[in-house]
Amino acid sequence: MNNFLLFAVVNLTLVLFLSPLYISVIKKVKAIIQGRRGPSIIQSYRNIFKLLKKESLYSHNSSFIMRVAPYIDFTGSLLLSLFVPLVFIPNNSNVFGNIILFLYILMLGKFVIALSGLDAGSTFGGMGSSREMSLSAIIEPTIIVVFAAVVFSFDSINFFEIIKSSLLSQNHIFLWLLLIPFIIIFITESSRIPVDNPETHLELTMIHEAMILEQSGKNLALIEWSSAIKQLLLIGIIVNIFIPIGISTSMNILALSIAVIIFFVKSLLFAIGIGIFESNIAKLRFFRIPNLFAISYFLSFITILIEVLL
Amino acid sequence: MIFYVMIFQVSIILFVLSIIIPLIFINVKKSLSRTLSLVMLILACVGLLFFSFSVLMYETINFQILLSGFTFKFSIDSLASFFIILISLIALSVGIYSISYCEHFESEIKKNLLVSLTSFFILSMVFVVASQDLISFLFFWELMSISSFMLVMFDYDKPETKKAGIFYFVMTQISTIFLIFAFVFIYTHINGLEFTQLEGLSAPVASLIFLSLTVGFAIKAGVIPFHKWLPYAHPASPSSISALMSGVMIKVAIYGFLRFLFLLPEQQLWWGILILIAGTVSALLGVIYALKEHDIKRLLAYHSIENIGIILLGVGLYMVFSFYQFGDLAMISLFAALFHTLNHALFKSLLFLSAGSVVHKMHTKNIEEMGGLIKKMPYTALLFLIGAISISALPPFNGFVSELMIFQVFLKFSVLSSPIIKIILLLSLSLFALTSALAAVCFVKAFGIIFLASPRSEEAEHAKEVNLSMIIGPAILAILCIFLGIFSYQIFQVIGLKIGIRFGLPNLLIVSTIAVFLGSLTYILMKFVGNNKSRVTETWGCGINSQNASMEYTASGFSQPVTTIFKSIYQPKLVNQKSFYDQEGTFFKEGEAKVTMIKFFEEYLYMPISRAISQVSSILYYLQNKVELYPYILANFFAIIVLLLYLGVIIR
Repeated sequence: MNNFLLFAVVNLTLVLFLSPLYISVIKKVKAIIQGRRGPSIIQSYRNIFKLLKKESLYSHNSSFIMRVAPYIDFTGSLLLSLFVPLVFIPNNSNVFGNIILFLYILMLGKFVIALSGLDAGSTFGGMGSSREMSLSAIIEPTIIVVFAAVVFSFDSINFFEIIKSSLLSQNHIFLWLLLIPFIIIFITESSRIPVDNPETHLELTMIHEAMILEQSGKNLALIEWSSAIKQLLLIGIIVNIFIPIGISTSMNILALSIAVIIFFVKSLLFAIGIGIFESNIAKLRFFRIPNLFAISYFLSFITILIEVLL
Repeated sequence: MIFYVMIFQVSIILFVLSIIIPLIFINVKKSLSRTLSLVMLILACVGLLFFSFSVLMYETINFQILLSGFTFKFSIDSLASFFIILISLIALSVGIYSISYCEHFESEIKKNLLVSLTSFFILSMVFVVASQDLISFLFFWELMSISSFMLVMFDYDKPETKKAGIFYFVMTQISTIFLIFAFVFIYTHINGLEFTQLEGLSAPVASLIFLSLTVGFAIKAGVIPFHKWLPYAHPASPSSISALMSGVMIKVAIYGFLRFLFLLPEQQLWWGILILIAGTVSALLGVIYALKEHDIKRLLAYHSIENIGIILLGVGLYMVFSFYQFGDLAMISLFAALFHTLNHALFKSLLFLSAGSVVHKMHTKNIEEMGGLIKKMPYTALLFLIGAISISALPPFNGFVSELMIFQVFLKFSVLSSPIIKIILLLSLSLFALTSALAAVCFVKAFGIIFLASPRSEEAEHAKEVNLSMIIGPAILAILCIFLGIFSYQIFQVIGLKIGIRFGLPNLLIVSTIAVFLGSLTYILMKFVGNNKSRVTETWGCGINSQNASMEYTASGFSQPVTTIFKSIYQPKLVNQKSFYDQEGTFFKEGEAKVTMIKFFEEYLYMPISRAISQVSSILYYLQNKVELYPYILANFFAIIVLLLYLGVIIR
């Protein structure tokens, strides 16, 4: 239990203070590729701080849903950060780490934010909610098959055990086929190009940003922060499953600090990769997105087929 | 033991009284007799709950009721007592709900009749579940069908109700025909009426019995493609009855299926696969059809089809895993199916009752005319929200737990040896994930359009909260939804389901406690760090000073992305008729444009069958009534000659 407490403290600290960084890093990479200087690397921290200090506006139409949704979403994200070992794997727990529970807490956050999008009665909010929920529904088969492949390869349904056995054994060659589906899931869940564009406001292409258009002040800060946390957790899942090097299993301070540094490097590289990828691709038309999902579905299905048949 | 039987008998007597009392005072203007009868119903349910919990804990109880030379045999084992718990829980809350709900019908006769028929319906379901021989089962099954038919026809003066009622009646009788067919086979095999293990059946006969039982129960449960009566019957019947039909009656069909499945000897693999595929198809198509519905009760009816599909997924997994001798996994899947049966009964009745409150105040079932009701009917809104979260399988509510168990069993697909079965399981798993996510989309739509934003019609503007009894009734179910979710781990421990715990089901009580802790930490932190000023102002409307309800996103707009993505399933057709004053088509006179969706099963399955039947009967009609006597004699003459020739020449 002590072990788990340490894990909880380390993970919560990491996600709370590190997560906004990755948003800036991706932005910076894109700016450099486009030949601009780009915002400072701590701009996303400044944004959250600025929003925290602003007053909150609510629509006449809105109800308690709009007021509690950001808190539920943020709490959900904090809870999720107890599911994914980032730098340290605690002893097994029958409470946390369950993949299905992870996916559905993610869904709970979306559900309440989508409701709050409809709450103000604005057309943008409704449109955003509708699109976000539809996309998150049709990516679901891909997500479950990808995780089924992971569960199949590591013979466990718990993130703790999966990452632990990934750390101990290195012979999951076919798993690399899952990288593309994983990246597509990452892009969808963190609302990035080519599925959504996090930088546009008031454009007919936007999805996530439209949904939270009526949010303001500290509520908006919570939502943005929570998206950043979710993004970091997804990065954590991907890099730790594919490149588990450096994760610590003991409570040693030295091992832990090395693990933090290695994780930082791995995840930053991943974020830079995402930035480069985004710069080279245009946003897809909304109704083309299901094709992208179909590709990732087939790739992940094939992975399982190969593993089953061989 | 005798004590428990006595409780059961007292409950039955209370039921009978609650059927008779409103009938005696059918034309009396006072509501006292109805209330008294409903209180008796509630007491009877409490009695049954007490009775069946003790049966579940201890032992099977057998007894008989003699009815003028006719013996009904009852046996209540743990399976039956589980379903009696389910029936009485829902009946309890429907009883409380009905105390004020039944008062809004126009005539005294109707009010009293509703109460009496409701009790009758519930009692017949209890007896179906308790029955221990074929005849009792069939007798009470028919009583259940007839009483529910009368309740569907309750608003008999509306034309759509008539259609729904007749549709329902025909379907339910077809279901009974299939059951009788199977029962005849069983009867000839065991030479008796009691439910006993069927041994020594040859494989084709066993499969035949299995298939006809499956069709018979599938019709009643609303499994696709036998589902069509559900979306007709639910909007037509009173809301309390929809809750009972959707929450309980279709579960009685699941009970029947399981009861006979356990009696059948060595099951074959394809039975399990068949149930698995039927479950997947029902679940996915059910939710896809639900997404395009804007009639709240029809939307909920399609979700019942979806959830029956999920229950069948559990049953199918049980059959597949027990075929391959994986006892633990089979038990978990069966338990998941039963748990989902209970959960669906709870949240679906909750949704039907709270939707019934909304319909009662709004006088329309079309969600496009609602909106903003969260401020007018806050308690009803909260109840509906709890139901919506439960049915969308979001943690920590009960719908999540049973779906989680099914997911976990699915993810164990690698233990099976056959690659084809693995692939079937995997496909089924991914469609199941899609189903569950689409359900969340659908309930964001339903809750968002009904309760959020600003009112879209005059009636929504002036809606008021319903009476206390119409809140307390569903509130019991809502509390149970939360309780069964959060304390699921502890419940499994108490009833001794060690497998579940070894299986790695998460302890949701700890998760929710930590979530509450983190949530309050966030709240306190925000109070200190964040700016606490807030202002209520206009919704931003792109420069328009004041917004009105016509600018809000509509339900059809909300489901449009999904409709477009699943275009091949809906097959929407744009009908565009225009007429002009002149021949060149310059001056527009009048026109009509509408989008129609294909009714696949009605157009390609139901209608061809009914056309074929009416063609055959028109030929028979012609032979019977239109043909003269002489051709008959001639035909008989030839027939006899042919017969004689056959017997005399060919056979010899």
